[in-house]
Amino acid sequence: MAAVVALGAMSLAACGGGDDDGGSESGGNVTMQFWHNATTGPGKAFWDKTVADFQTANPNVKIKIQQVQNEDLDGKLQTALNSGSAPDIFLQRGGGKMAAMVEAGQLKDITNDITAETKAAVGAALGTGQVDGKSYAVPVSILPGGFWYSKDLFKKAGVAAPPTTLEELSAAVTKLKANGTPIALGAKDAWPAAHWYYFFALRACNQASLDAAAKDKNFGDPCWTKAGNDLKAFADTKPFNDGFLTTSAQQGAGSSAGLVANYKASMELMGAWDPGVIASLTKDTKPLPDLGFFPFPAVPGGQGDPAAIMGGADGYSCSAQAPKECADFLNYIVTKDVQEGYYKAFNSLPISKEAQGAVTEDYLKAVLDAYNKAPYVSQWLDTIYGQNVGNALNIGVVNLLAGKGDVAGIIQGVNDAAKKG
Amino acid sequence: MTSDVADKSGRVRTGDGVTTPSPVRPRRRGIGWAQRLEIAALSGPAILVFVGFVIFPVLMAGYYGFYRWKGFGVPTDFVGLDNYKTILTDNSFHEAVWHNGQIVVLSLVLQGPIAIALALLLNKKMRGQSVIRVLIFVPYVIAEVIVGTAWALMLQTNGAVNDVLRSIGLGGLAQDWLANPKLAIWTLMFILTWKYIGFAVILFLAGMQNIPEELSEAAAVDGASFWQTQWHVTLPLLGPTIRIWGFLSIIGALQLFDLVYIIWGQYVASTAGTSTMATYMVLEGRNAANYGYGNAVAVVLFIISMTIALVYQRFVLRRDTEGALTGGR
Repeated sequence: MAAVVALGAMSLAACGGGDDDGGSESGGNVTMQFWHNATTGPGKAFWDKTVADFQTANPNVKIKIQQVQNEDLDGKLQTALNSGSAPDIFLQRGGGKMAAMVEAGQLKDITNDITAETKAAVGAALGTGQVDGKSYAVPVSILPGGFWYSKDLFKKAGVAAPPTTLEELSAAVTKLKANGTPIALGAKDAWPAAHWYYFFALRACNQASLDAAAKDKNFGDPCWTKAGNDLKAFADTKPFNDGFLTTSAQQGAGSSAGLVANYKASMELMGAWDPGVIASLTKDTKPLPDLGFFPFPAVPGGQGDPAAIMGGADGYSCSAQAPKECADFLNYIVTKDVQEGYYKAFNSLPISKEAQGAVTEDYLKAVLDAYNKAPYVSQWLDTIYGQNVGNALNIGVVNLLAGKGDVAGIIQGVNDAAKKG
Repeated sequence: MTSDVADKSGRVRTGDGVTTPSPVRPRRRGIGWAQRLEIAALSGPAILVFVGFVIFPVLMAGYYGFYRWKGFGVPTDFVGLDNYKTILTDNSFHEAVWHNGQIVVLSLVLQGPIAIALALLLNKKMRGQSVIRVLIFVPYVIAEVIVGTAWALMLQTNGAVNDVLRSIGLGGLAQDWLANPKLAIWTLMFILTWKYIGFAVILFLAGMQNIPEELSEAAAVDGASFWQTQWHVTLPLLGPTIRIWGFLSIIGALQLFDLVYIIWGQYVASTAGTSTMATYMVLEGRNAANYGYGNAVAVVLFIISMTIALVYQRFVLRRDTEGALTGGR
C-alpha cells in the first residue's frame, strides 16, 4: 500500500512538471485507454482490480479498459496504431514487432520514466522491453521454455529423475514408448516444432553467435547446422506423436497440450504458459496434479552454456501519444502486491523478484530455479530475429521434420527471408 | 455471376427458333434532374461501397507492393519491382501455383462429370427426390470453417476415418491422409468435391429444367434411348450452364484459401503439397510480417485470376455472352 501512495505522489509531481509531450494538462484530469487480452476469469478480474486501485491512488486518472481476444489483439492493435487512434497502454510481446513499432514512431520512449524501484524489481529482464538501449515496454511476466511432463507417467515407465543430458532424454524416450507417446508436438502451428530447433541452437551456439545472428541475420556459423543435425538425429528416433505434422498445439483434446493433459503423451517442450493451457484441457479443467518441469538437457559438443535458458517476457507499452501517467501505471504494475496478484491470476511467473517468493507450485519453482541459475536468458529466436526470419525458421524446421527438407534448407531459407523483409 | 446465369437461361428458354429482335435505340433524350437525383440516390451507396471496399483496396495493394513494409506506420522504403522479382524466383510460390493448377484441372475433371451424372439422375421424377437434393446441397451450405475442422479431425492419423477402417478389418488402408504429400492433394480434392458438388448439381438441374421437354419427347418418338437423349439433346443444351459453372469453378480454385488454411495450417500445407497462392500470400504477408511483399503477391494473384477470367470470357463464354452483353437494351 505504501508503494501505491508513493506512486500517487510521484504521478502528481509528474503532472506538476507541466510536461506537454502527452495529453495531460497540469493538474488536470487524464483519461487513458488500456488494452489487454484477458477476456474472462481471474485474469480479467485482476486487471479490473489493478486499474481500480491505481485510480483510487491517482484520482485525476481515469483508465478505460478494453479486453481484446488474444488472437485478435495483434491485428486490431496494428490497425489502431496505424490509424492514429492507438490505446495509450497495451500488451507488448516484444521482439521484431516491437522494433517495427519503434521504427514507425508509434511507441513512447519511457527510459527516463522507469523508477528505481521498478529497475530493482525487474532487474536485467528490463532488456526485453528495450530497443537500442531505450525502454519502450515494461515486462510483467517471464515465460521461459522447457519440458512439461507427467511425473506419474515418468514413474510408471521407470524414469527415475528428469533427464539432464540428451543421452538421458533419449533413454527416457525409449522407456516411455512402452506406455504410449513420449513427446507431444503440435507441428501444425509450426512454432512448437521450431522451438525444438531453437533449443538445440541454444545449446549448440554460444551467446556471441546468437547475438551476432540477431544483428546481421547471417546464419553461416556452423553451430546452426549442428543444431539442425542434432534435431534431425533426435527426430529420427520417432519420439513424437503420430501425425504430429497435422496436430495443433493448444486447441482441443487432440492438440499436443491436450495429449499431455489427458495422459496420452508424457511430455511437451513448451513455454511457461503451458501449465495454464494444459489445465484448460484436462477432463475437469483443473491443473494437472502431477505436472513437473525440467529444462532442456545439455547437448554434447555444443558451444552454448548447458544452463542457458530461452523464453519470452510479456510486457506493456505506452503508445507515442500517451500521457505521462501511462508510465506511472507501468511502474505500478510491477510493484510487489500487484505482481503477486498477477501470479495468482495467471498462474504465471511474476517478473518482480520480490513477488517471486509467493510462488508455491513445484513446477513453477522448478522454472524459477532454472531461470535464476541461468548464466543468460535468450528470447525466443523467432522473436529476436524478427517475424520474417522467424517465419522462415518455422518453415525450414517443419520441412526438416516432414522429411522434405534438410538442414541446409533451414539455413538457406533463413538467409533468403531477409531479402523479403 | 448469378445474373449471367439468368441471362443464359433466359436465352435458352426462347429456344433456337426465336430470333432476338434487333435492338431499336430510342432517341436519346436528356434526363431531368429528378431522374438524375433518383439514379444518384439509388446507385450512389452501392458505388461508394464498391469503390471503398473493392477498388480502393486493390489500388492500395498495388501501392504497398512497391515497398518493403513491416506493417507499422507509413511505408517509406520504396523498392520498386524488387518484391515482384522475389516472387518470380521463389520456389514456394511456384509450388503454390502448381498446386492451384492441379486443383483447377482436377476440379473440372472430377466435379463436372459427377455433378452432371447426379443432375441427370435427379432430373427424373422419383421418390425422395427432394430429400436427396437437400443431402447433396447441404455440404455447400455449411461454412468452410466447420467443414474444414470436421474433416481435419476425422482424417487425423488417430481420427474417425482410420478408426472405422481398422474396426472393419481394413486397418492396412489406414493412412496419414493429411500429411503424406502423395495423398494430401487427393484428400483436398475429395473434400472440395464433397463440399462444392451440391452447387454444381443445383446449377445443372436449373439448366436442365430450362430445356424444353418437347425436345426429349421428340427424341423419344424418334426412338432414342434415355442415354442417347441425354447425350444428343440435354448435354448440348446444357452447354451454357456448364461453361458458366466452369468459370466459377476455375476462379474458386485459383483463390482457394480457407479449407487449406483450416485443415493444414499454413506451414504444413506447403510440405504436404496443398499450399495455394492465397495461403502463400497470407504466410508471407501476415505471418512473416512482410506486408509489402504480401501485397505484391496479392497483386500477382489478382493479375493471374483476372487474365484467366478474361481469356475464358473471350474464348469460352463468347457465344454465351454475345447477346447478353451487346443486345442488352
